[in-house]
Amino acid sequence: MSAARPVEQVLWWLAAIPATMVIIVGFGLPLVQSLVASFTRDGVLTLANYELVYRLYRQDVVYTVMVAAAGLVLTFGIGIPLSGYLRLRHSQTAEFLLKVPLFVPFVVVGHAMRIFLAPRGTLPSLLHALGLVSPDTTLAISEGWIGLPIALAWKHLALVVLLLMGAFRGVGEEYLEAARGFGAGTFRQIWAVLVPMAAPSIGLAAVLSLTSMLASFSIPLMMTKGSGPQMLMIDLYHRYGLHGDFGTASAIGVVSYLLAAGAAYYYLKGVMRQ
Amino acid sequence: MNATGLRAPNLRDRPRGLLALALRAALVAVLLGAIVGPLAGLVLWSVAERWHWPALLPQQVGLKYWARITQGDLLAALTRGVAIASVTTVAALVTAIPVSYGAARARLPLGPVLLMLFLLPQAFPQLPVFASAAVLFYRWNLAGTYAGVVLIHLVGGLVYAVWTMTAVFRAIGEDIEEAAINLGASVTRTFFRISLPLALPGVVASSILVFIYSLDEFTGTLLVGAPYVTTLPVYMYTASLGYELQIASVTALVLMVPGVLLLVLMERFLRAEYLAFFGRL
Repeated sequence: MSAARPVEQVLWWLAAIPATMVIIVGFGLPLVQSLVASFTRDGVLTLANYELVYRLYRQDVVYTVMVAAAGLVLTFGIGIPLSGYLRLRHSQTAEFLLKVPLFVPFVVVGHAMRIFLAPRGTLPSLLHALGLVSPDTTLAISEGWIGLPIALAWKHLALVVLLLMGAFRGVGEEYLEAARGFGAGTFRQIWAVLVPMAAPSIGLAAVLSLTSMLASFSIPLMMTKGSGPQMLMIDLYHRYGLHGDFGTASAIGVVSYLLAAGAAYYYLKGVMRQ
Repeated sequence: MNATGLRAPNLRDRPRGLLALALRAALVAVLLGAIVGPLAGLVLWSVAERWHWPALLPQQVGLKYWARITQGDLLAALTRGVAIASVTTVAALVTAIPVSYGAARARLPLGPVLLMLFLLPQAFPQLPVFASAAVLFYRWNLAGTYAGVVLIHLVGGLVYAVWTMTAVFRAIGEDIEEAAINLGASVTRTFFRISLPLALPGVVASSILVFIYSLDEFTGTLLVGAPYVTTLPVYMYTASLGYELQIASVTALVLMVPGVLLLVLMERFLRAEYLAFFGRL
């Protein structure tokens, strides 16, 4: 490509400034400010915010990791066999259905799952109508730690299947034919051929989903009530909104950055080893 | 083909064929239930005028709550959201195109670094950064204003716009631009007369992505805009918080309309990499 003339070079740079400024002002600056605020209180450098996070929210850190891990296991426990099956045997209906959650916003998923899984929600009333559960038992699916992974998996499954199907389609048909030649059924073809060959893509999809689940805010906000352990983002929102404590809220934020970075680090380490 | 050559394939395959068919039907049925189930709950709640537990269906159904779309707060939040999304989309596309084109054609020497900057917002949890942005916006008198909400929507919108547009410009062959330049056209003229018209379908797809992102954006609007500038997602949250489940469900269904329309209409036209961006909404 012939090089642009110097004047045009400058013009392109100038034209790129507004978008760059938006990212710096709307993202870069706030990010730096939250890092600084997490280490200051009343203008003094201190670790007091982190001490408070440790004292009040350490169980919530564990809870957040557990919920995200459960969501991840659920998403991939369903997503891997499903994508593998659909790679081997196409089903337009199934593929279309799986795309639907992609287009449902997170807040809507939260609200839909709340009214679906609540003690008096649509699912419990359906189970009662079918005679599977007596009307006296309370099915508190949405409020416990079971509802969140289900809702998170519901939303993330679509993207994961999309990514995995892409990766599985990249696996040459000749490998699958060879496996079939040795008598491998659908299950064996998925586990012995597709999964190992698409391992890097599966890892990437897992890191993307895990970081998104760790940082999930609108789904837990819509689904959970004030009592019991909370997701970290809910704690952050309350620290910030109800208590007006930006320092501690920022410290929770930094913990969430570290969790996300940790997931990315483990993934990169795995890639390097290969 | 049967590699062992000894096994009679038909004896084994016929029952397996039936089993496979049953498995397939079961799979589609389970998926249908799992995916449509929660959404069906929304539809039921949106028309439930009276619903006593544990009845499976509402005792009295009607469109009383749907009528709220045409009046009052819900309509105001909807039009406000559409206006914000329109401004955000135009601003995102106009500012993103120079970055994308510059990066795709290596006209900006630091193109790759610049692109990484636009990936950064995806790598960090949103809420802590947006909470911090809200503190800054408050100081700058941008909190609770349209300008503030558009600015916070632009952060996310630009990520989608820059990355999809870079892919679009990369897909356009450079040789056709070379030809124009060799014939004496300037780089800028080539861009406006050759590259941009060729990129138009991609620009449209990118605009739709940004528009829907802005329409559905919740976290930034809640922190920066509320309570003065509320859009549909925030309105839905407030309704749900006040146990107005019917209103919240109507709003949720309205929020799903653009996405579902796009899914049905554009399934064939939308490339998989654009679809992947939707997972982040």
